[in-house]
Amino acid sequence: MKPFERELLELICTTCRLQDIELDKIGSDDPLIGPDSPLGTDSLDALEIAVTIQQEYGVRMNSENTSRVVLQSVATLADYIKKNR
Amino acid sequence: MDASPLTDFSHRQSAHCESGVAANLLNHKGIPISEAMAFGIGAGLFFGYLPFIRINGLPLVTYRAAAGHILKQIAKIPGINMYQKKFRDQNQAMAELDAALEASIPVGLQTGVFWLPYFPRALRFHFNAHNLVVYGKQGDDYLISDPVFPEPVLCPAADLVRARFASGALAPRGKMYYLTKAPEVLDRRVLIILGIKSVCRMMLGSPFPLIGVRGIRFLAGRLAQWPSRLGRERAGLHLGHVVRMQEEIGTGGGGFRFMYAAFLQESAEELQDQYLRDCASSLTAAGDSWREFAARAARVCKDRARPGETYAAMAEQIRECAALEENVFRKLEHWVKRCP
Repeated sequence: MKPFERELLELICTTCRLQDIELDKIGSDDPLIGPDSPLGTDSLDALEIAVTIQQEYGVRMNSENTSRVVLQSVATLADYIKKNR
Repeated sequence: MDASPLTDFSHRQSAHCESGVAANLLNHKGIPISEAMAFGIGAGLFFGYLPFIRINGLPLVTYRAAAGHILKQIAKIPGINMYQKKFRDQNQAMAELDAALEASIPVGLQTGVFWLPYFPRALRFHFNAHNLVVYGKQGDDYLISDPVFPEPVLCPAADLVRARFASGALAPRGKMYYLTKAPEVLDRRVLIILGIKSVCRMMLGSPFPLIGVRGIRFLAGRLAQWPSRLGRERAGLHLGHVVRMQEEIGTGGGGFRFMYAAFLQESAEELQDQYLRDCASSLTAAGDSWREFAARAARVCKDRARPGETYAAMAEQIRECAALEENVFRKLEHWVKRCP
């Protein structure tokens, strides 16, 4: 996993107060939200992540780039932030 | 019958199914239009808090116009003809769909999400007003442009029948629709003005205190009382419901505000109007405020509230959303009155 992706993953764990997550076992393309996510996050978590990303990196998930699309994986999130920063 | 896919139908993913389908159908008819523009001229923005209508025992909160409203508005545009039909007989409904596909017509359908097998199981819920476009058939599978998916999907005929005839609230009754006629160009200026006027009327001029900006303030008042009236657990359920309706169903309240802001921005470019650009920025600020409320509410629901994140504070934030929206729609109302 790239350093920026790792940074995002740590931010997500802090934001959602996720404990006992083995970050090394999470892949860049693993689902970030939903029942298939190794993080066990849901749509309410997604909402908080979207707000945190906006506050931390100044990047808004808007109508064309919804959190549903951007938060598919930590790789898609990292790409989106890099392109829109 | 075995109709091959329409090779010229262009699937585009969208944030919200109804505006996405409207835009995709218009594009197919040679009218280039964004989802945000379809949402705006379809007067899709709204707010309603209707506690006498219950969803799973919880009061209905809606941040968008009623299901079908956008398509209805699009169908009213001069020069556009939309064929629409509901059915009692499932075989007849599928036969008409096949006949349209054979005639190379992409067909919009109203469906129940729960029965669509290509939706991940976790996202299948009983919502019967999900719109999609069928644009081909391969064997027993229909080729579907579902606007909330990045790529076209396949759906077996038996599942599509179930989805078209799902029972319960907003039962689709096999509803299908397609455009039979569209003008070469849209008079966008007139449609933008009419769309904005309609939303201003709903957000500011409704005599009912549960609708529009007044409805947002009414919700704030109720929300502040939930812990004392309902107890902690039921209050949490109500709060979670408000947020899910806001952010999870379709693009939700904050999302709808962002989409309408995108419409105002696009309109500003189209009409070269700085005033509309400013309104778009103001509405984006309202969307941010809604999203901030939702994030706070999510933390409260998840038992990780920060100091000061109380129901009273959240109610205050909703009042701020109301104030921001009232300001935007007063400005837009003024803009509409100035338009010749």
